Amino acid sequence: MLGGLIFLFAPQGLTNKFQFAFVRTFSWPLGKGRSVTLAARTPASTELVSRREYDRLQNHLANVIEQRDQAYQQIKKLSGLSSRFPFEGAKWVLADIITGPTDESPNEFIIDRGAEDGLAKEQFVLGDNSIIGTISDVSARRAKVRFFTDPASNIAVKIAGLDVSRLMQGTGDNSAKIRLLPVEHKVKTGDAVYASKKPGFLDAPMIVGKVAQCKRDDENPSVWDITVKPVCDIEMLNDVAIIVTDPRQ
Amino acid sequence: MRWFRFAALVLIATILQTSLIDIIAFPAVDIKPNLLLILLVFFAVRCQSTDAIITSFTIGFAADITSSTMGPQIISFGVFGTLLSEMYHVITIRKWPYQLLAIFITGFLTAALAYLLTFLKVIFFEAEPVVFNTYTELLWTPLYSAIVGPVLFLPTQWWMRIKKRQFRR
Repeated sequence: MLGGLIFLFAPQGLTNKFQFAFVRTFSWPLGKGRSVTLAARTPASTELVSRREYDRLQNHLANVIEQRDQAYQQIKKLSGLSSRFPFEGAKWVLADIITGPTDESPNEFIIDRGAEDGLAKEQFVLGDNSIIGTISDVSARRAKVRFFTDPASNIAVKIAGLDVSRLMQGTGDNSAKIRLLPVEHKVKTGDAVYASKKPGFLDAPMIVGKVAQCKRDDENPSVWDITVKPVCDIEMLNDVAIIVTDPRQ
Repeated sequence: MRWFRFAALVLIATILQTSLIDIIAFPAVDIKPNLLLILLVFFAVRCQSTDAIITSFTIGFAADITSSTMGPQIISFGVFGTLLSEMYHVITIRKWPYQLLAIFITGFLTAALAYLLTFLKVIFFEAEPVVFNTYTELLWTPLYSAIVGPVLFLPTQWWMRIKKRQFRR
């Protein structure tokens, strides 16, 4: 009983060492067990819809995308400013991509706007209504955008339906990882991932990606190892929008 | 009490609870039995008082190893395992419907106390908040464990070399 109380009131960092020791010691059976479980569950988790239903949903999606694109173009033509409720007062700077991702810098591109247009480091960059990264470097007329999939990128995010925020770090291969989220939280493939509010940079959560894979962490099975993929094809983008929450700067 | 066999059994149950148990979970709702809860009841009703107390706290420690917060399960398993063991002096739990009921009630009580202790830890020691799925933890997991439990008692009994005549009452 005394031991239980000591464990209960001991710092979590200290007690976690017991859990890590257990995982380290029995990593082989735990890993094998998880592989067997995943293999056994795979057929059951395959979700199929009829061709008719698939076509209907695809058509609906195409219609919505078209309507969105039209509205987007109208906004662009009118003023280049968005009237989204949470971002009232914010300036949305539209920018064309000058150089896209290359083999040398696959997670960065350069845009034709800079400090003179109100851009600054850490501002969020949107592509197809989703956050694709942040401004990593800025000159007078140019700026460099770093994708959230870059290993140097760390963005605070939250998963749809959960009220906890975690850091998401890029992996460098067109995805990012969310770690340290306890497995008690229900997360499933396809869940939307939102960039958390960041005072001075982001007034409201915005979609950044979707959960592509969710499995228990290899080193610590009590937390998830979540892989997030972008919700837009970054390589196909021609232009982006940068959120400038304080246009006076 | 065969302590080496007990240690091996708890270890295997802990590893299974962390990995392979997902195979028999209900996929849509992710409800799975708690093997350590089943072992807790098994040893509480089949061991002498002292042994039952030691096994209860040991199984609680194993349960804590696989959860995100350490401490609550050791106390809740220890307390209710000991109480169940003491109750066995008054009530005999030999028929499977009673065993089923014992697992369900113990599962409910241990989950409730563990939740309360975790809540206190979060409030007073600013530990990381833990999501508690009320229906799953308090109702469905104990119920699933209760259904599976009496079936698992047989191989556990064989492994621990406990014969029916060795029941305390």
